[in-house]
Amino acid sequence: MPNLPLKKEIFLTGLWKDNPVLRQILGICSTLAVTNLMVNTLVMDAGLIFTVCMSSLTVSLLRKHTPMRIRMMVQTLIIASYVIIVDIMIKAYLPDISEALGPYVALIITNCIILGRCEAFARHNPPVASFIDGLGMSLGYSLVLIAIAFIREPLGFGTLLGFRVLPEGFVQWTVMIMAPGAFFTLGIMVWIMKYFRPQTKFGEEKG
Amino acid sequence: MKKRALSVIYMFLITLFFASLVSAVKLMNDKRIERNQIQRIQQIILRVLEIPTQEQTSEQELSQLFADHVKEIDVEERTLYIGYEQDGQTIRGYALPVGGPGFWGPIQGMIGISPDATRVLGIAFFKHNETPGLGGRITESWFADQFKDLPLHPIEGDQNIFYLKPEGTAQASNELDAITGATNTSSAVEAFLNRELDFFLKELWVSVEEKE
Repeated sequence: MPNLPLKKEIFLTGLWKDNPVLRQILGICSTLAVTNLMVNTLVMDAGLIFTVCMSSLTVSLLRKHTPMRIRMMVQTLIIASYVIIVDIMIKAYLPDISEALGPYVALIITNCIILGRCEAFARHNPPVASFIDGLGMSLGYSLVLIAIAFIREPLGFGTLLGFRVLPEGFVQWTVMIMAPGAFFTLGIMVWIMKYFRPQTKFGEEKG
Repeated sequence: MKKRALSVIYMFLITLFFASLVSAVKLMNDKRIERNQIQRIQQIILRVLEIPTQEQTSEQELSQLFADHVKEIDVEERTLYIGYEQDGQTIRGYALPVGGPGFWGPIQGMIGISPDATRVLGIAFFKHNETPGLGGRITESWFADQFKDLPLHPIEGDQNIFYLKPEGTAQASNELDAITGATNTSSAVEAFLNRELDFFLKELWVSVEEKE
Protein backbone atom coordinates (compact mmCIF):
# COMPACT_ATOMS: atom_id res chain seq x y z
CA MET A 1 0.00 0.00 0.00
CA PRO A 2 1.32 3.46 -0.80
CA ASN A 3 2.35 5.48 2.20
CA LEU A 4 1.93 9.16 2.86
CA PRO A 5 4.94 10.71 1.07
CA LEU A 6 4.09 8.72 -2.03
CA LYS A 7 0.62 10.25 -2.06
CA LYS A 8 2.11 13.69 -1.84
CA GLU A 9 4.30 12.71 -4.76
CA ILE A 10 1.28 11.57 -6.79
CA PHE A 11 -0.48 14.83 -6.03
CA LEU A 12 2.45 17.02 -6.99
CA THR A 13 3.05 15.05 -10.17
CA GLY A 14 -0.38 15.99 -11.44
CA LEU A 15 -0.36 19.50 -10.11
CA TRP A 16 2.97 20.54 -11.52
CA LYS A 17 5.57 17.98 -12.63
CA ASP A 18 3.39 16.33 -15.23
CA ASN A 19 0.84 19.07 -15.51
CA PRO A 20 -1.88 17.73 -17.81
CA VAL A 21 -2.14 20.90 -19.88
CA LEU A 22 1.43 22.17 -19.97
CA ARG A 23 3.29 18.83 -20.02
CA GLN A 24 0.86 16.31 -21.44
CA ILE A 25 -1.00 18.78 -23.66
CA LEU A 26 -4.34 17.27 -22.68
CA GLY A 27 -7.68 19.00 -22.26
CA ILE A 28 -6.71 21.71 -24.73
CA CYS A 29 -10.19 22.10 -26.22
CA SER A 30 -11.77 23.38 -23.04
CA THR A 31 -8.63 25.30 -22.16
CA LEU A 32 -9.04 27.32 -25.32
CA ALA A 33 -12.80 27.58 -25.07
CA VAL A 34 -13.67 28.83 -21.61
CA THR A 35 -10.67 30.89 -20.55
CA ASN A 36 -11.77 34.26 -21.91
CA LEU A 37 -13.80 34.89 -18.76
CA MET A 38 -12.59 34.04 -15.27
CA VAL A 39 -16.08 33.15 -13.97
CA ASN A 40 -16.61 30.54 -16.68
CA THR A 41 -13.11 29.22 -16.05
CA LEU A 42 -13.76 28.72 -12.34
CA VAL A 43 -17.03 26.86 -12.90
CA MET A 44 -15.40 24.68 -15.54
CA ASP A 45 -12.56 23.94 -13.11
CA ALA A 46 -14.97 22.98 -10.36
CA GLY A 47 -16.87 20.70 -12.72
CA LEU A 48 -13.71 19.05 -13.93
CA ILE A 49 -12.24 18.56 -10.46
CA PHE A 50 -15.42 16.81 -9.34
CA THR A 51 -15.61 14.65 -12.45
CA VAL A 52 -11.96 13.59 -12.51
CA CYS A 53 -11.82 12.77 -8.80
CA MET A 54 -15.08 10.83 -8.75
CA SER A 55 -14.40 9.00 -12.01
CA SER A 56 -10.93 7.96 -10.92
CA LEU A 57 -12.28 6.84 -7.57
CA THR A 58 -15.09 4.82 -9.12
CA VAL A 59 -12.94 3.24 -11.80
CA SER A 60 -10.43 2.30 -9.13
CA LEU A 61 -13.11 0.77 -6.88
CA LEU A 62 -14.34 -1.37 -9.75
CA ARG A 63 -10.87 -2.17 -11.10
CA LYS A 64 -10.76 -5.75 -9.85
CA HIS A 65 -14.17 -6.63 -11.24
CA THR A 66 -14.30 -4.83 -14.58
CA PRO A 67 -13.58 -7.23 -17.45
CA MET A 68 -10.60 -6.01 -19.45
CA ARG A 69 -12.32 -6.02 -22.81
CA ILE A 70 -15.18 -3.72 -21.82
CA ARG A 71 -13.24 -1.41 -19.53
CA MET A 72 -13.38 1.60 -21.88
CA MET A 73 -17.15 1.33 -22.14
CA VAL A 74 -17.43 1.17 -18.38
CA GLN A 75 -15.11 4.16 -17.93
CA THR A 76 -17.01 6.25 -20.44
CA LEU A 77 -20.29 5.37 -18.79
CA ILE A 78 -18.97 6.37 -15.38
CA ILE A 79 -17.56 9.66 -16.67
CA ALA A 80 -20.73 10.50 -18.59
CA SER A 81 -22.85 9.88 -15.51
CA TYR A 82 -20.83 12.25 -13.38
CA VAL A 83 -20.80 14.92 -16.08
CA ILE A 84 -24.58 14.79 -16.41
CA ILE A 85 -24.87 15.10 -12.64
CA VAL A 86 -22.62 18.19 -12.71
CA ASP A 87 -24.71 19.62 -15.55
CA ILE A 88 -27.97 19.10 -13.67
CA MET A 89 -26.52 20.60 -10.50
CA ILE A 90 -25.29 23.72 -12.28
CA LYS A 91 -28.65 24.12 -14.02
CA ALA A 92 -30.47 23.80 -10.70
CA TYR A 93 -28.26 25.93 -8.50
CA LEU A 94 -26.33 28.26 -10.81
CA PRO A 95 -28.75 28.96 -13.66
CA ASP A 96 -26.95 32.12 -14.80
CA ILE A 97 -23.61 30.38 -15.11
CA SER A 98 -25.30 27.50 -16.88
CA GLU A 99 -26.55 29.94 -19.50
CA ALA A 100 -23.11 31.46 -19.89
CA LEU A 101 -21.33 28.14 -20.26
CA GLY A 102 -23.87 26.74 -22.68
CA PRO A 103 -22.75 23.40 -24.06
CA TYR A 104 -19.33 23.37 -22.42
CA VAL A 105 -20.41 21.65 -19.23
CA ALA A 106 -21.79 18.68 -21.12
CA LEU A 107 -18.57 18.66 -23.12
CA ILE A 108 -16.52 17.98 -19.98
CA ILE A 109 -17.02 14.37 -20.96
CA THR A 110 -14.75 14.82 -23.96
CA ASN A 111 -11.95 16.16 -21.80
CA CYS A 112 -9.15 13.66 -22.37
CA ILE A 113 -7.73 14.22 -18.90
CA ILE A 114 -10.58 12.27 -17.33
CA LEU A 115 -10.39 9.18 -19.49
CA GLY A 116 -6.61 9.54 -19.51
CA ARG A 117 -6.39 9.32 -15.72
CA CYS A 118 -8.87 6.45 -15.52
CA GLU A 119 -6.95 4.47 -18.10
CA ALA A 120 -3.41 5.39 -17.09
CA PHE A 121 -3.71 5.44 -13.32
CA ALA A 122 -7.01 4.57 -11.69
CA ARG A 123 -7.41 1.12 -13.18
CA HIS A 124 -4.11 -0.09 -11.69
CA ASN A 125 -4.14 1.74 -8.38
CA PRO A 126 -6.08 1.70 -5.11
CA PRO A 127 -8.99 4.13 -4.63
CA VAL A 128 -7.37 6.69 -2.34
CA ALA A 129 -4.28 7.03 -4.51
CA SER A 130 -6.50 7.33 -7.60
CA PHE A 131 -8.57 10.01 -5.97
CA ILE A 132 -5.44 11.96 -5.07
CA ASP A 133 -4.07 11.51 -8.56
CA GLY A 134 -7.34 12.87 -9.97
CA LEU A 135 -7.25 15.77 -7.55
CA GLY A 136 -3.67 16.65 -8.47
CA MET A 137 -4.28 16.42 -12.19
CA SER A 138 -7.52 18.41 -12.13
CA LEU A 139 -6.02 21.07 -9.88
CA GLY A 140 -3.05 21.24 -12.25
CA TYR A 141 -5.47 21.77 -15.10
CA SER A 142 -7.37 24.38 -13.11
CA LEU A 143 -4.19 26.24 -12.25
CA VAL A 144 -3.24 26.61 -15.91
CA LEU A 145 -6.76 27.65 -16.92
CA ILE A 146 -6.86 30.29 -14.22
CA ALA A 147 -3.47 31.59 -15.33
CA ILE A 148 -4.65 31.84 -18.93
CA ALA A 149 -7.92 33.51 -17.95
CA PHE A 150 -5.89 35.90 -15.81
CA ILE A 151 -4.14 37.05 -18.98
CA ARG A 152 -7.03 36.82 -21.44
CA GLU A 153 -9.86 38.50 -19.57
CA PRO A 154 -7.99 41.71 -18.66
CA LEU A 155 -6.44 42.06 -22.13
CA GLY A 156 -9.61 41.09 -23.98
CA PHE A 157 -12.26 42.83 -21.91
CA GLY A 158 -10.29 45.08 -19.56
CA THR A 159 -11.94 43.32 -16.65
CA LEU A 160 -11.25 40.54 -14.18
CA LEU A 161 -14.18 38.57 -12.77
CA GLY A 162 -16.32 41.34 -14.24
CA PHE A 163 -14.55 44.17 -12.40
CA ARG A 164 -12.71 46.73 -14.47
CA VAL A 165 -8.98 46.39 -13.90
CA LEU A 166 -7.60 48.34 -16.84
CA PRO A 167 -8.46 52.00 -17.50
CA GLU A 168 -11.58 52.88 -19.49
CA GLY A 169 -9.59 54.09 -22.52
CA PHE A 170 -7.73 50.79 -22.86
CA VAL A 171 -8.05 49.36 -26.36
CA GLN A 172 -9.30 45.81 -25.91
CA TRP A 173 -7.39 43.08 -27.68
CA THR A 174 -10.20 41.33 -29.44
CA VAL A 175 -7.88 38.51 -30.46
CA MET A 176 -7.56 37.61 -26.77
CA ILE A 177 -11.29 36.89 -26.57
CA MET A 178 -11.11 34.57 -29.54
CA ALA A 179 -9.48 31.16 -29.83
CA PRO A 180 -6.19 32.45 -31.35
CA GLY A 181 -5.56 34.49 -28.21
CA ALA A 182 -5.84 31.31 -26.18
CA PHE A 183 -3.50 29.49 -28.54
CA PHE A 184 -0.87 32.21 -28.20
CA THR A 185 -1.17 32.39 -24.43
CA LEU A 186 -1.06 28.63 -24.00
CA GLY A 187 1.78 28.27 -26.49
CA ILE A 188 3.90 30.80 -24.65
CA MET A 189 3.21 29.05 -21.34
CA VAL A 190 4.21 25.65 -22.72
CA TRP A 191 7.35 27.22 -24.13
CA ILE A 192 8.31 28.81 -20.82
CA MET A 193 7.63 25.54 -19.02
CA LYS A 194 9.82 23.63 -21.48
CA TYR A 195 12.58 26.18 -21.18
CA PHE A 196 12.81 26.03 -17.42
CA ARG A 197 12.07 22.35 -16.98
CA PRO A 198 13.17 20.41 -20.02
CA GLN A 199 11.63 16.97 -20.36
CA THR A 200 13.68 14.46 -18.37
CA LYS A 201 15.14 11.60 -20.33
CA PHE A 202 13.24 8.83 -18.61
CA GLY A 203 9.52 9.26 -19.00
CA GLU A 204 8.65 9.87 -15.37
CA GLU A 205 4.90 10.07 -16.03
CA LYS A 206 3.88 6.66 -15.05
CA GLY A 207 0.94 5.13 -13.52
CA MET B 1 -18.25 -17.95 -23.91
CA LYS B 2 -18.80 -17.71 -20.21
CA LYS B 3 -16.49 -14.72 -20.08
CA ARG B 4 -18.44 -12.97 -22.78
CA ALA B 5 -21.73 -13.50 -21.00
CA LEU B 6 -20.17 -12.19 -17.82
CA SER B 7 -19.10 -9.01 -19.61
CA VAL B 8 -22.60 -8.45 -20.89
CA ILE B 9 -24.16 -8.96 -17.48
CA TYR B 10 -21.56 -6.73 -15.86
CA MET B 11 -22.15 -3.96 -18.39
CA PHE B 12 -25.89 -4.30 -17.96
CA LEU B 13 -25.71 -4.04 -14.18
CA ILE B 14 -23.34 -1.12 -14.17
CA THR B 15 -25.43 0.76 -16.74
CA LEU B 16 -28.53 0.10 -14.67
CA PHE B 17 -26.81 1.47 -11.59
CA PHE B 18 -25.50 4.65 -13.18
CA ALA B 19 -28.64 5.31 -15.19
CA SER B 20 -30.66 5.06 -11.98
CA LEU B 21 -28.25 7.35 -10.20
CA VAL B 22 -28.46 10.00 -12.91
CA SER B 23 -32.25 9.68 -13.10
CA ALA B 24 -32.54 10.09 -9.36
CA VAL B 25 -30.43 13.26 -9.40
CA LYS B 26 -32.47 14.55 -12.31
CA LEU B 27 -35.78 13.82 -10.59
CA MET B 28 -34.62 15.47 -7.40
CA ASN B 29 -33.73 18.66 -9.21
CA ASP B 30 -36.34 18.73 -11.97
CA LYS B 31 -38.76 20.96 -10.08
CA ARG B 32 -36.03 23.36 -9.19
CA ILE B 33 -34.74 23.61 -12.75
CA GLU B 34 -38.26 24.14 -14.05
CA ARG B 35 -38.88 26.82 -11.43
CA ASN B 36 -35.63 28.52 -12.38
CA GLN B 37 -36.73 28.64 -15.99
CA ILE B 38 -40.21 30.01 -15.29
CA GLN B 39 -38.78 32.58 -12.96
CA ARG B 40 -36.19 33.56 -15.49
CA ILE B 41 -38.79 34.12 -18.19
CA GLN B 42 -41.01 36.08 -15.83
CA GLN B 43 -38.06 38.21 -14.82
CA ILE B 44 -37.19 38.83 -18.44
CA ILE B 45 -40.75 39.79 -19.36
CA LEU B 46 -40.85 42.23 -16.46
CA ARG B 47 -37.50 43.63 -17.48
CA VAL B 48 -38.35 44.22 -21.15
CA LEU B 49 -41.63 45.84 -20.10
CA GLU B 50 -39.64 48.05 -17.73
CA ILE B 51 -41.66 46.99 -14.71
CA PRO B 52 -39.21 47.59 -11.88
CA THR B 53 -38.18 44.61 -9.78
CA GLN B 54 -36.03 44.91 -6.69
CA GLU B 55 -32.73 43.16 -6.65
CA GLN B 56 -33.81 41.14 -3.64
CA THR B 57 -37.30 40.29 -4.85
CA SER B 58 -38.21 36.87 -3.52
CA GLU B 59 -39.66 34.11 -5.66
CA GLN B 60 -43.23 34.69 -4.41
CA GLU B 61 -42.99 38.45 -4.80
CA LEU B 62 -41.82 38.01 -8.34
CA SER B 63 -44.66 35.72 -9.37
CA GLN B 64 -47.08 38.06 -7.57
CA LEU B 65 -45.69 41.07 -9.43
CA PHE B 66 -45.94 39.12 -12.64
CA ALA B 67 -49.54 38.07 -11.98
CA ASP B 68 -50.50 41.67 -11.14
CA HIS B 69 -48.95 43.28 -14.16
CA VAL B 70 -48.82 40.80 -16.98
CA LYS B 71 -51.51 39.00 -18.94
CA GLU B 72 -50.78 36.27 -21.44
CA ILE B 73 -52.73 36.18 -24.72
CA ASP B 74 -52.52 34.07 -27.85
CA VAL B 75 -52.64 35.87 -31.16
CA GLU B 76 -52.30 34.10 -34.46
CA GLU B 77 -50.71 31.08 -32.79
CA ARG B 78 -48.17 33.23 -31.03
CA THR B 79 -47.99 33.95 -27.34
CA LEU B 80 -47.89 37.59 -26.43
CA TYR B 81 -47.64 39.18 -23.00
CA ILE B 82 -49.49 42.40 -22.22
CA GLY B 83 -47.99 44.49 -19.48
CA TYR B 84 -50.23 46.78 -17.41
CA GLU B 85 -49.50 49.83 -15.31
CA GLN B 86 -50.03 49.84 -11.53
CA ASP B 87 -53.77 50.52 -12.01
CA GLY B 88 -54.20 47.27 -13.92
CA GLN B 89 -55.97 49.04 -16.78
CA THR B 90 -53.56 51.14 -18.78
CA ILE B 91 -51.37 49.13 -21.11
CA ARG B 92 -47.70 49.63 -20.47
CA GLY B 93 -46.47 47.64 -23.40
CA TYR B 94 -46.31 44.27 -25.11
CA ALA B 95 -43.71 41.57 -24.64
CA LEU B 96 -43.13 39.43 -27.66
CA PRO B 97 -41.10 36.21 -27.51
CA VAL B 98 -38.77 36.22 -30.47
CA GLY B 99 -36.43 33.63 -31.80
CA GLY B 100 -34.44 32.54 -34.76
CA PRO B 101 -31.33 30.72 -35.85
CA GLY B 102 -28.10 32.00 -34.35
CA PHE B 103 -24.65 30.99 -35.49
CA TRP B 104 -24.42 27.73 -33.55
CA GLY B 105 -28.01 27.10 -32.63
CA PRO B 106 -31.37 28.73 -32.02
CA ILE B 107 -31.49 31.98 -30.09
CA GLN B 108 -34.53 32.90 -28.01
CA GLY B 109 -35.30 36.29 -26.65
CA MET B 110 -38.02 38.63 -25.50
CA ILE B 111 -38.70 42.07 -26.83
CA GLY B 112 -40.75 44.78 -25.15
CA ILE B 113 -42.75 47.10 -27.39
CA SER B 114 -44.46 50.38 -26.46
CA PRO B 115 -48.33 50.41 -26.35
CA ASP B 116 -48.55 52.39 -29.60
CA ALA B 117 -46.01 50.08 -31.25
CA THR B 118 -43.71 52.92 -32.24
CA ARG B 119 -40.65 52.07 -30.22
CA VAL B 120 -38.85 49.28 -28.40
CA LEU B 121 -38.98 49.28 -24.61
CA GLY B 122 -36.33 46.69 -24.03
CA ILE B 123 -34.91 43.42 -25.19
CA ALA B 124 -33.34 40.39 -23.56
CA PHE B 125 -31.96 37.13 -24.85
CA PHE B 126 -32.34 34.13 -22.63
CA LYS B 127 -31.47 31.03 -24.60
CA HIS B 128 -28.63 30.56 -27.02
CA ASN B 129 -25.68 28.35 -27.87
CA GLU B 130 -23.33 31.09 -28.98
CA THR B 131 -19.66 31.04 -27.94
CA PRO B 132 -19.28 32.36 -24.38
CA GLY B 133 -17.45 35.68 -24.45
CA LEU B 134 -18.13 36.22 -28.16
CA GLY B 135 -21.61 35.67 -29.57
CA GLY B 136 -22.66 34.90 -26.01
CA ARG B 137 -22.31 38.60 -25.27
CA ILE B 138 -25.77 39.21 -26.74
CA THR B 139 -26.97 38.63 -23.19
CA GLU B 140 -24.83 41.45 -21.82
CA SER B 141 -26.63 44.62 -20.83
CA TRP B 142 -24.67 47.02 -23.07
CA PHE B 143 -25.88 45.13 -26.12
CA ALA B 144 -29.50 44.89 -25.01
CA ASP B 145 -29.62 48.47 -23.72
CA GLN B 146 -28.97 49.85 -27.18
CA PHE B 147 -32.38 48.62 -28.32
CA LYS B 148 -34.15 50.87 -25.83
CA ASP B 149 -36.23 53.50 -27.67
CA LEU B 150 -35.40 52.09 -31.08
CA PRO B 151 -38.04 53.58 -33.45
CA LEU B 152 -40.28 50.98 -35.09
CA HIS B 153 -41.85 51.04 -38.52
CA PRO B 154 -42.99 48.25 -40.82
CA ILE B 155 -40.34 47.22 -43.32
CA GLU B 156 -40.91 48.65 -46.76
CA GLY B 157 -38.63 47.66 -49.57
CA ASP B 158 -35.19 46.83 -48.23
CA GLN B 159 -35.24 49.40 -45.45
CA ASN B 160 -34.68 47.37 -42.30
CA ILE B 161 -35.96 48.43 -38.88
CA PHE B 162 -32.42 48.51 -37.54
CA TYR B 163 -28.89 47.77 -38.61
CA LEU B 164 -25.94 46.45 -36.65
CA LYS B 165 -22.73 48.34 -37.35
CA PRO B 166 -19.16 47.50 -36.30
CA GLU B 167 -18.75 48.23 -32.61
CA GLY B 168 -18.37 51.95 -31.97
CA THR B 169 -19.49 53.19 -35.39
CA ALA B 170 -23.27 53.25 -34.89
CA GLN B 171 -24.55 56.75 -35.63
CA ALA B 172 -28.18 57.02 -36.69
CA SER B 173 -31.10 56.10 -34.43
CA ASN B 174 -31.63 52.87 -36.38
CA GLU B 175 -27.98 51.84 -36.10
CA LEU B 176 -26.68 49.76 -33.20
CA ASP B 177 -23.30 48.37 -32.27
CA ALA B 178 -22.67 44.79 -33.32
CA ILE B 179 -20.44 42.49 -31.27
CA THR B 180 -16.78 42.52 -32.22
CA GLY B 181 -15.52 39.05 -33.02
CA ALA B 182 -19.05 37.70 -33.40
CA THR B 183 -20.00 38.81 -36.89
CA ASN B 184 -22.05 35.72 -37.62
CA THR B 185 -24.04 35.95 -34.42
CA SER B 186 -24.60 39.66 -34.96
CA SER B 187 -25.94 39.24 -38.48
CA ALA B 188 -28.12 36.33 -37.40
CA VAL B 189 -29.63 38.45 -34.62
CA GLU B 190 -30.09 41.38 -36.99
CA ALA B 191 -31.87 39.18 -39.52
CA PHE B 192 -34.35 37.45 -37.23
CA LEU B 193 -35.12 40.49 -35.09
CA ASN B 194 -35.95 42.58 -38.14
CA ARG B 195 -38.13 39.77 -39.41
CA GLU B 196 -39.95 39.24 -36.12
CA LEU B 197 -40.49 42.94 -35.47
CA ASP B 198 -41.85 43.39 -38.95
CA PHE B 199 -44.17 40.43 -38.42
CA PHE B 200 -45.36 41.94 -35.15
CA LEU B 201 -46.09 45.31 -36.75
CA LYS B 202 -47.81 43.93 -39.82
CA GLU B 203 -49.74 41.01 -38.33
CA LEU B 204 -49.85 40.64 -34.58
CA TRP B 205 -50.37 44.19 -33.52
CA VAL B 206 -53.31 44.66 -35.84
CA SER B 207 -55.02 41.62 -34.31
CA VAL B 208 -54.22 42.81 -30.82
CA GLU B 209 -55.76 46.21 -31.51
CA GLU B 210 -58.88 44.58 -32.89
CA LYS B 211 -59.22 42.46 -29.78
CA GLU B 212 -58.87 45.37 -27.37
